[in-house]
Amino acid sequence: MKHLKPLNQKARQLDGSTTTAEVDEVVAMQTVVQCTATTDPGWEIDMFGSVSGLCQPMESDLYGCSDPCWWPAQVPDTMNTYPNWTDNAPSAAKDWRNLESIYPTDDSKS
Amino acid sequence: MIAKYLSLIVVSLMCNSALALNASLGEELLQENCRGCHTPIEQGLSRISQQRKTAEGWEMTINRMRTMHGLQLRHEGMTEVEVLGALVKHLADSQGLAPSETEGVRYLLERDGNRTESFEPLIAETCGRCHSSARVALQRRTPDEWDRTVDFHLGQWPSTEYSLYGRDRPWLKIAREQAVPMLAEQYPLESSAWEAWQEADKPVPTGTWVLAGHIPGEGEFSALMTVTAEPDQPDRYRIALEGNYADGSELRGSGASIVYTGYEWRAGLSLGDLELSQAFALSADGRAISGRMYQRDQEQIGAPIVGIRSETGSRLLSVYPKSVAADQESVITLTGSGLSADNVSFDDLEVVEVLSDVPHRVQLRVRNASGKKLALQNIYVNNEQTDVNVAVYQHVDDLQIEPAYGVARIGGNGGGAPKLEAVFRARGISWGSDGVAGTEDDIDLGYIDDVTWQAVPRDETAKHDNDVAFAGDMDARTGRFVPAGAGPNPARARSTNNAGNLNVVATYQQEGRVVEGTGRLLVTDQRWVHPPLK
Repeated sequence: MKHLKPLNQKARQLDGSTTTAEVDEVVAMQTVVQCTATTDPGWEIDMFGSVSGLCQPMESDLYGCSDPCWWPAQVPDTMNTYPNWTDNAPSAAKDWRNLESIYPTDDSKS
Repeated sequence: MIAKYLSLIVVSLMCNSALALNASLGEELLQENCRGCHTPIEQGLSRISQQRKTAEGWEMTINRMRTMHGLQLRHEGMTEVEVLGALVKHLADSQGLAPSETEGVRYLLERDGNRTESFEPLIAETCGRCHSSARVALQRRTPDEWDRTVDFHLGQWPSTEYSLYGRDRPWLKIAREQAVPMLAEQYPLESSAWEAWQEADKPVPTGTWVLAGHIPGEGEFSALMTVTAEPDQPDRYRIALEGNYADGSELRGSGASIVYTGYEWRAGLSLGDLELSQAFALSADGRAISGRMYQRDQEQIGAPIVGIRSETGSRLLSVYPKSVAADQESVITLTGSGLSADNVSFDDLEVVEVLSDVPHRVQLRVRNASGKKLALQNIYVNNEQTDVNVAVYQHVDDLQIEPAYGVARIGGNGGGAPKLEAVFRARGISWGSDGVAGTEDDIDLGYIDDVTWQAVPRDETAKHDNDVAFAGDMDARTGRFVPAGAGPNPARARSTNNAGNLNVVATYQQEGRVVEGTGRLLVTDQRWVHPPLK
C-alpha cells in the first residue's frame, strides 16, 4: 500500500490494520457463538473487531450478500434455500420490515 | 407477519394432549413420514440410522426436511407440531447422546451464547465459521455421514469455497481429507458411552428438589421444585417452584417439563410475569440436576442453576453472597438439604441473628470473628467440612464482567426480529494478602450486585460515531442493556443502523474507594434464523 493513500475511514482501517492486537481481535472472533466468522464482509462484526466496517446500513447491500449465501446461519440464503425470502421486500432499505424469520417454521403455537 | 420464536421443545410442553409418547408410535411415525425418501436398511432407515444427536438437533434436522425437501408431517389425529414433537422424542431417546458425550459443549443446549468457543482451528475454521463448532460436537455420525455433511454444505451453500477462510485454501480437499477423518474419530456413531447409557438405569425426576441460582432482574434464590409425573405420558412432568429470593421476597412458579434420552430435562414455566425455560441435565444417579434457566423470549438472559434432591440428607448446595465484609455484619443465605441454624457452622463467623431456618434455606446475619481482614471461611454441616466457603474481605480489588463479551442485537421497530438484550454481572476479586493480581492467593468474592453500569465507546471510531447514544440503553442499576431499533437510522451518518462497538464498565464504590471492571458489548444487526442450537 506504499503508493496508495487512504481517503476515507474504511481505507484508513485497511491501511493500518496489521498490529497484533487487531489480528488477535479477528482470531478471537472466529469462535464466538452465534456470530459468523466470515468477515469479508462480516454480519455482526467486521474483520477489525468493529462495526464501522460493515455495510452502512446493512440494508444497502443485504441482498448482494444473502443471495450468495454469505452468512447462511444468520441471513437466509436466497440462492438455494429461501428463494422467496425477499418477495415482499424489493428494496431492502425501504421494505426491510417485510423480511420474515425463516426458523422456526411453525405458525401454530398453543 | 411476526414469526414466532418458540422452539418446538418448549411448545410441546404446552400441548395438553394425552399423547402416549411411546417407542412404537415413534417407529410408526418414522415409517409413515420418513420412508418416502429414506430407504429401509439393516439398521433402520438410510441416513437417519447413521446419526445420533440431541433432541434439539433432531428437531432442526426434521425442520430442514420440511423446509428444503417439502416434507409434510402427518398422522391421524395429530397436528404437524405434535408429529414433530413425537418424532423428536423418539429419535432423541433411541439415537441420542450419552451424558458424557455432551461434556464441554452443554452451553449450546443451554442457549448460553455469549461465550467464546475453543476448538481446534481445523474444526473451527472448516465447520464453525457460520454456526458454532459445538453444534458439530453434539452430533455423532459414521465416517460416510460426516463425508456427506461436507457434500451437503458445499452443495447447498457453494460460496463456502470462496468466502473468508474458504478461498485461501483448497477447502474441499481439506474438508474431506482432514476434517472428515478428525470428525469421524472424535464423534463416531458407535461409542461405549452410548452403549452403556442405553443399558443404564435412568434417573427418576419425580419428587422434590432444592434449587439454587439467580434470575436476572429478580435476584438470587433458594427454592423447592416439586416434580410430579403426568399420568399416561411417559417422561412428561408437572413442576411447581416455591421459594425465596435473598431479600426474603417470595418466588412462585409452575410449568411442565419433558425428559429426553433419560436425562435431558427441558422445562417451561411461568414465574409471575416471567416466562422461563430450563435446560438441565439429571445426574446419572438421580440425585442432582443442573443447567441453565433463561427467559424464553430472551435466551441470552439467564443464569446457571444447581439442584439436589431435598431428601439428600444434610448437604450444602451454595451460599450467597460468597463473601462478607471484614468490618461489618452481613446477611448470608445457605441453600441445601437437611440444613438448620444448629447444624451449620463456620471457622470464625459468629451468628448474630437467624433470619430463616428451614431445611432448604438457612439465612443468617453474621459477623467476622476471625480477627483477620482477609480469609476464606469454610462452612461445616454437622461439623463436616463442605466444599462451599465464604470469603472475609476488606476491599474489592477488581471486577470481572460476565459475560466478558456480550452481544446484543437491534430489532423491533416494525420488523419481525425482536431486540436481543444483554445482561451483565460483576464478579469481585480480591488480590489476596500479596496484593498482586493474578497470583494464587487471589480470592473470588462472588457477584457484587451493587455496582453501577455504563456503556462507553470501545474505540475512537465508536466515539466518533456516537455509538453510545444510538446503540441502546444500559440500566445503570441492573446491568441490562436494551438495544435500539432495527433499520436504517437517518440520524446517523450514511443512515447506518444503530449498531455500536461498546465496552461495559461496572463501578463499585466502597468507602471512597472506586473499583472498575470492563467488559465488551457488541450491539449488532438482527438475524432471521433462530434455531435452538446456534
